[in-house]
Amino acid sequence: MTTSRRASDFVVGATVLVVTIVVITAVLWLKQADLRGKTRHLVVRTRDVGGVALGNPVVIRGVRSGQIESIALGERGWVVLTLGIDRDITLPSDPVVLLAASSLFGEWQATITDATGLPADRELRAAISESRTSGDTLAGAVLPDIAQLTTVAGRIAGDIAQVADRVQVAFDDQAARELRESLRNFSRLSAQLANTVALQSKNLDQISGDVQLGLTSINAAAEKLSAFSSRVDSATSRGELQTIVNNSQAAAKELLAATTRLRDVAVGLDRTEGRLASAVSKADSVFAKVNAGRGTLGLMVNDPALYQQSDSLVRELRVLIADVKKNPKRYFTMRVF
Amino acid sequence: MLALPSMLDLPLAVGRSTRSLFDQIGAGTRFVVATCRAMRDTKDWIPEFSTHARILGVESLPIGVFIALFTGIVLALLASYSVGDLVPPYFVGTLVQKTITLELAPVLTGLALAGRVGANIAAELGTMRVTEQIDALETLTFDPMSHLVVPRVLASTMMFPVVVAVAMLAGLLSGWMASLLLLDITTPQFLKGARIFFTDFDVRYGLVKSASFGAAVALIGCRAGLNTQGGAQGVGRGATRAVVISAVMILVLDAFWALVWLSGRTIR
Repeated sequence: MTTSRRASDFVVGATVLVVTIVVITAVLWLKQADLRGKTRHLVVRTRDVGGVALGNPVVIRGVRSGQIESIALGERGWVVLTLGIDRDITLPSDPVVLLAASSLFGEWQATITDATGLPADRELRAAISESRTSGDTLAGAVLPDIAQLTTVAGRIAGDIAQVADRVQVAFDDQAARELRESLRNFSRLSAQLANTVALQSKNLDQISGDVQLGLTSINAAAEKLSAFSSRVDSATSRGELQTIVNNSQAAAKELLAATTRLRDVAVGLDRTEGRLASAVSKADSVFAKVNAGRGTLGLMVNDPALYQQSDSLVRELRVLIADVKKNPKRYFTMRVF
Repeated sequence: MLALPSMLDLPLAVGRSTRSLFDQIGAGTRFVVATCRAMRDTKDWIPEFSTHARILGVESLPIGVFIALFTGIVLALLASYSVGDLVPPYFVGTLVQKTITLELAPVLTGLALAGRVGANIAAELGTMRVTEQIDALETLTFDPMSHLVVPRVLASTMMFPVVVAVAMLAGLLSGWMASLLLLDITTPQFLKGARIFFTDFDVRYGLVKSASFGAAVALIGCRAGLNTQGGAQGVGRGATRAVVISAVMILVLDAFWALVWLSGRTIR
């Protein structure tokens, strides 16, 4: 009996001890309890926690890094959360905490992210700014969960349904016919535009070819200009440009003087031209008279008998002169007292 | 000639039944009070405690583990079948963990042990009653309550949680294995599901509940045994009645604890 009782004592004691140790170990393991002090605690301040609960994960860049350890009401309408994260993890430079649903099945998580990476949501950013405080307390805010989003989506769907009803009412048979006609016209117009585009594309091709040639010429001219510029540059560096400029100035002065003289000559010519015009007009009148047979000269020009008589007279004079030269004593007697 | 029932028979029957019910409740309450009073006699029950703890607890471990193993497998398959593509796969781990720790391990193990422990106690004490061993103890001024009832009740109350704890572990392990081998759910997924909503309250709730089951089973078995009459038939009837009443009481206590501890409590 005594042996049996001792054996019973031993068996029962061992069983109870082993089971107790195993159960406690299993509970601590499932709870992911921090036994070696590898957890550090962060305090977060927010106006609302949404659906976050104790034990929900804390996520940094998508990796689970801890869990929510406590949620408590703070002062002046704030809620204070304590997050336990691994001590070795480096937080972002400006960490903020976003509380959001991680799935459609009621699981929430706290995401630690940098403030610069916040979504472009005005209300969210305002909530984060309001939650900021001095010290080590992080600012937190709640992202809208699926319930709120579906509420908004439901409202939008309702509005769309109303608009659709109105469109349906406005879009009767008459409107449908007109729309079909418009569509047909648009189709015809599109075909015409296509043809025009096809025709013009050929012209454009040619123009583009000409432009290409023009560009090539411009390129060549630009190269020449560039060469000229380089020559000018080199000429400038040797002072030739200055010489050219000086020579150009001198030439310009001479040209100016020549121009002035030419102007004077032109003025004189103008006057001469005037006198010439007057003489020509007088001569013209004389010639007109001559042509008309007026006056001695006119008679002489227009009368052939006079010409013939004059001609015979001139011949006789020539003979006389020749005879005078040949026989001067015949005609002249010179006495000196 | 048949006597027609009179108008007075129905109220009389109801009255008798009610009185009988309250009589039994009263008797049971008196028994519990007597057991609590007998705990003061530690010299009488401490030497017997470990023996009964071994018989009722340690030797019940295999059956508790056996039940939990198959419960875990069935639960994993059931969870996958029920919600399948509607929820992420890791929810199988959540369902297995929650159901095993909160409900199935304590209740199924309790029902199994009600048959083993309750019947064992009722039969043993019933046999002692019908063979007048208890009368002999009383003659020798041994208090049957402190010698026979208290060690059994305390051993059962203490060892039921131990058996249920082992059953919880076994159920979780078998659920994990079934998920891994039969449902293509990876270990990280199962663990994520098991951890995501786990709180130590789940384990405390299951263990406290199982302790109340152990106390109830032992008390009912002891009372049925001590009140046995009529020889072998009476022992059999007593054992049967003990198992049935223990099973009913387990379910009543299960609902009681759910009302007391779970109503108004969210998963936090």
